[in-house]
Formats: sequence, C-alpha cells, structure tokens
Amino acid sequence: MNRPSMAVSRAIARVADSALAPYQTAVLRIGFGLTWLLFLLREYPHRQELYGPDSPWSWDLAAQLVGSNDAFTVLLWSDSQVWFEAVYALAVLFSLLLLLGWRTRTMAALFMVGVLTLQNRSVFMGDGGDNVLHIMAVYLVFTRCGQVWSLDARRARRAEQARARGERTRDRVGPALWAVLGLVLLLGSLAGRTDGDWFIPALLWAVWLGQAVWWLAGRLARTDQPRILLDVVANVVHNGALLVIMAEACLIYATAGWYKVQGSRWQDGTAVHYPLHLEYFSPWPSLAELLTASGTLVMLVTYVTVVVQVAFPFTLFNRRVKNVLLSFMILEHAVIAVVLGLPFFSLAMIAADAVFLPTSFLRRTGRLAARARERLRPRGEAAPVPPRRRPDGAPAGPPAVAPAEAAPVTGRVPGPRT
Amino acid sequence: MDAQDKGSDARHGPAEPGVPGPRAPLPGPVPPADGPSGPEPATPPEDERAAGAEEPPRDPSDEPRTGVAALSLRYRIGAALALAVVAVAVCVHLGMTFLHVAPPNTVSKKHSETIADWIYPEFEQNWKLFAPNPLQQNVSVQVRAEIRTPDGGSRTTGWYDLSAQDGRDIDGNPAPSHTQQNELRRAWDFYLSTHDDDNRPVGLRGALSESYLRRIMVMRLDRADAAGRDGEVARVQVRSRTTQVPPPSWSGEKVSDKAVYRVLPWWLLPEDEARGGIG
Repeated sequence: MNRPSMAVSRAIARVADSALAPYQTAVLRIGFGLTWLLFLLREYPHRQELYGPDSPWSWDLAAQLVGSNDAFTVLLWSDSQVWFEAVYALAVLFSLLLLLGWRTRTMAALFMVGVLTLQNRSVFMGDGGDNVLHIMAVYLVFTRCGQVWSLDARRARRAEQARARGERTRDRVGPALWAVLGLVLLLGSLAGRTDGDWFIPALLWAVWLGQAVWWLAGRLARTDQPRILLDVVANVVHNGALLVIMAEACLIYATAGWYKVQGSRWQDGTAVHYPLHLEYFSPWPSLAELLTASGTLVMLVTYVTVVVQVAFPFTLFNRRVKNVLLSFMILEHAVIAVVLGLPFFSLAMIAADAVFLPTSFLRRTGRLAARARERLRPRGEAAPVPPRRRPDGAPAGPPAVAPAEAAPVTGRVPGPRT
Repeated sequence: MDAQDKGSDARHGPAEPGVPGPRAPLPGPVPPADGPSGPEPATPPEDERAAGAEEPPRDPSDEPRTGVAALSLRYRIGAALALAVVAVAVCVHLGMTFLHVAPPNTVSKKHSETIADWIYPEFEQNWKLFAPNPLQQNVSVQVRAEIRTPDGGSRTTGWYDLSAQDGRDIDGNPAPSHTQQNELRRAWDFYLSTHDDDNRPVGLRGALSESYLRRIMVMRLDRADAAGRDGEVARVQVRSRTTQVPPPSWSGEKVSDKAVYRVLPWWLLPEDEARGGIG
C-alpha cells in the first residue's frame, strides 16, 4: 500500500476506534457542571426574580418572545410556582450528577435541558458566561465525557471485576431511568410542548433512541458486530464534537482578539483602565485603582491581552508555546473573576480552556487529588468497601488514577498528546 | 480582558428583527446531532459486559473486539457513512458559526438567511468582549414615581438612582448576582436597541422591552417602599444619566464631566402592577 492511503487509514482508525482526549473531556464535564451548579446555588435566593413566573421578565413576556424565536425552554410548559421550583431543583441536581459522571450521557442531555430552559426563559439576565455554557452544554451531549473521573467509570470497573470473579451483574437503574425519561419526552411531544425549533427535541429523541439501540445491540444481536459499529459511531461523534469544542474555544479568542485590534483604546494602550472603572464591574475599587496606577503596566497588559487572544489559535501547532499561552489565559481569567466581579464567566472560560491542557498534566493532577483523598479518608472507613483490585494485582486506585483502560466502552483509549 | 460587556448585551439582540419567526424545519443539514449519533448511553456500559458474559458471542480468535478493524465489510460501510455524515456536519457547523461571529462580509451577507436558520436560536453567540473598545461610560438608570394617596391626592417622589444601588450591592461582593450586575443594565440596553430616538418602540420587542423595564421599576420602587404605607404607584418615569469614565490620570487626556440625560415619558401602570406583585 502506498503512503498516503496508509496515512488516511491510520487517521480513520484514530477517530473511529477511540474517543480521544478522555481526560480533557472529563475536565470539560466537571468544569461546566461545576460552574452551572455554583451559579444556581449562588442565585438560589434570587431565583424568583431571575426565572420565576412573577419575575420582572414575566412568564407572559417570555412566552411572547419565545413564541417569536422558538428557543427551547420547559419553563414555559406551565406558569405554576411548583413547576418552576421543581425545574430549578432538577437543574441543580442534573448539574451535580453530570459533575460526578453518573449516567453521563443521560445527565449531559438533562444538564443541557436545565441550562437552556433557564437561560432561554430569561435571556436578558445572561452575560458572556451564560453564552459559553449555553453552547458548550449542547456540545457536551455529543461527547463521551464520562470515560474517566466519573461514577460511570467506577461502575464499569467494578462490573469488570465482578465478571472476573464470575459474578453476574445486572443494571436496573439504567433501563428505569430510560423508561421514565422516554415517558416525559413522549408526553411533552404529544402535548405539543416541543413544537418550537426542532433541533433540541430531535437531539433528545436521538439520545433516547440511541440508548435503546445500544442496549438492544448488546442483548439481542447474534454477533457483536452491531455493538462494535455503534461504538465506532459514538467515537466518531465524540471526536467530531471534541473538534467543534476546540474550534469554538478558538473562535471565542480569535473574535475577542481581532475585534480588539480595531479599537482605539486597545491601540493607545489604555483599554484595561476603563472596565475597571465601570460601576457594574468594579467590586473592589481600590484594587482597580492600584492595578491601573501605572500607565506602562496598563499598556503592557492591554497589548499582551490582544496579542495572546489573537495568537492563541495559531499556537496550537506548537505544544510548548500553546501551554505557555494557555496558562497565561487561565491566570488572566482568574484575575478577571476577582477584579471585574465575574466569577462564573471566568470559571466557564477556564473550563473551556481546559480542553487544551496536556494529558500528562491532567493525569498528574488526578493522581495528586487521589492521594489527597486517600489521606483524608479515615482508616476505619476503608474497611467495609469491598477490596477493589485491578486484574493485574496493582493496588486499587480511586477513579482519579484510573488509567485509560477504565474507559467504559472502548477498552483502549490512547492518551492523546495535546 | 474577557469580561463580557458589549458582548453579552448583544446576546439575543441580533435575533431582533432580522430573524425569522417560526423556523421552517430545514430538511437538510443537521449539526453533529444526526441520526446514529446518540448512542453510548450512560446506561449500557456494563450491560454490554454483562451480556458478553452471559452469551459469549465473540469468536475466540485473537481479533480485536473493537474498532473498525473488527467490523465486517457491511458494517464498515455503515461506519464510513457515519464518519462522512459527522465530518460534513462538523464542517458545516463550524463554517456557519464562523460566518456568524465574523464581521458581515461578502459570503455572510449573501447567505444571511441560511446562516440565521442554522445558528438561531440555540447557537447564537457574540464574543466581542470589550471590543472593539471597552465601554467608557457609566450609565445610571434612574426612576421616579407618582404616588396616589388614599385621600385622592398625589405626589411625585425624587429620583431613585437604581444603578448606583446596584453598584453599592456589587462593591465588596465576590460573586455579584445577575440581578445586580445584568438585570437593569441589560434591560436598559434592550430598551435602547428597540426604540428610536423619540422613544417609539420598534416591533414586538419594543413593546416587550417597555413592559420589562416598567416591571423592574415597579419591583424596585416597591422594595424602596416608595409608595409609603397606603399609597399606590400610579405612574413611573425613567431616565438615564450618562457620564464619561475619567481617563487615567497619567494619560493627560481630558473628557467632559457633564452628565447627559435621556428622559422617557411617564408610563401609566396597569392595575395589577400598581398594587405591586412583581418579583
């Protein structure tokens, strides 16, 4: 075989045989889940004013706007107080469960429903952070983001061990969850509640049907071919979504950067001074004063900000430069969180940045976290837990150290170089 | 500097008049969502294994059990098809998103409707974060009310500076609420973007933005107890007070420190709002 065709088939095998970047997608899952969870908890006292039926942006106003733009929101299914409280509580629950990686694909879909529902109910309450979450919540549904650092991965590992011991395991929760959600989806559709834009309802149906097909392929099929095909399709979709997420992050930086290049304040080096002196973005006025005391410093930060944003997408071709810029941007977002009073926007951006973190770094962090957890756990408590041992006899590690073989489905996920 | 300011404000802004209402379902392209995508549920992983344990279907040879290499020709065609569909969907989606965030250009102007159909409502985005220039004005939204007293008389309150109130709530607050940071600010921007210079509303959104702004005022006046014990708010009037952010002391630049006002007409309150019942 000639070279080019070899390269092509290798590339195809790469995107079809495994869901790439298991650690990075896990961090995305944890990061966005955490951001939304913290946001919902922080806004809990203000939830009525933000999204409640009697909020200033009242149910009626929202219904008129959504009637004209067809955005997806289950909050308009009813204007009752009970429905609102239930939806808010469920949105909190789903983000927690997504963060933990419990029934990850299902939770990713439900997380998306929660994010879209609340944000589309009151679009004028949101800012850039909400925008990032909105889009990434949709993309996450397409990924296999529970391969590592998740309860799913732990469950898969335990099932594997049980099987090695010759025990039979059976999952009852999964089918039950599937049945309940199918019922809700069906009722919603029959009641005409999903008659707006077709995309989100179609996506939910696709996830639901996909799970059924996957299950059937494992149960009924005489060969393992259908299941392997589904696995390949899921990998391809995951890798496609991963590419979209990375490109989206680049688009965010490129847009932010290239539009700044045209701005006179970014050119004369004073831009950073202004946001820090806006009433709405200066929680710590004296800190802002201190940071903008030196004209030279402000000019440097202004220029570096633009340069980094414009340059970032191009640095992806060089691992070392990319990592330097990445740490700079994460640092800058951490500063923005405090200085401009935008913690949730910054957290969402840091989560998005994390898709570019190197695997070696993530695994090292995971090992540290695992060790810290081991140390925190009191001696006595470890006893009742059944001895978790890997087949190779290595001491059982908590999910964090689970090497790629913990991947629930593919079984052999290469650690991609990022 | 990535805090979003201008950026967020525009969120759902662009959807305004240009965007078609109910979207006719496009038959064609589907973002990566399409058909066979969804699988790999949270549920099945160990189902698979359990199933494998019960009825060992695989042949004992050393063939790999996953991946394209393990598929027969028929199934390989299916995989190739999926790959092609996903590849096309990814490319189209990224292209559409790019044209949506890029400045209006030859291509995006020509295909503006197709792009809008693809992007709205769920993929709308705006990343002009503090760009091209950061906002250099503090805009204070203020309100005063005409109070109807039980004896049939009426009085007019002084101006309440609601943005200053927001600013005080944000001061020293490590995690400002959207109700403090975005509510009034974006409601005002929404109003401006849907009204002409004579405060005439433009389209449905103009009317919506007026109701929205009025309801915020009623809620906040109620919190400030503007009507007193047995008074009732009959009308409200809103104005904005815009001042330039002083340039840095080291720049030597001078800007006018005069405030510019925009005063809206008095708005009569509907019965239910007058009695207060918002928020």
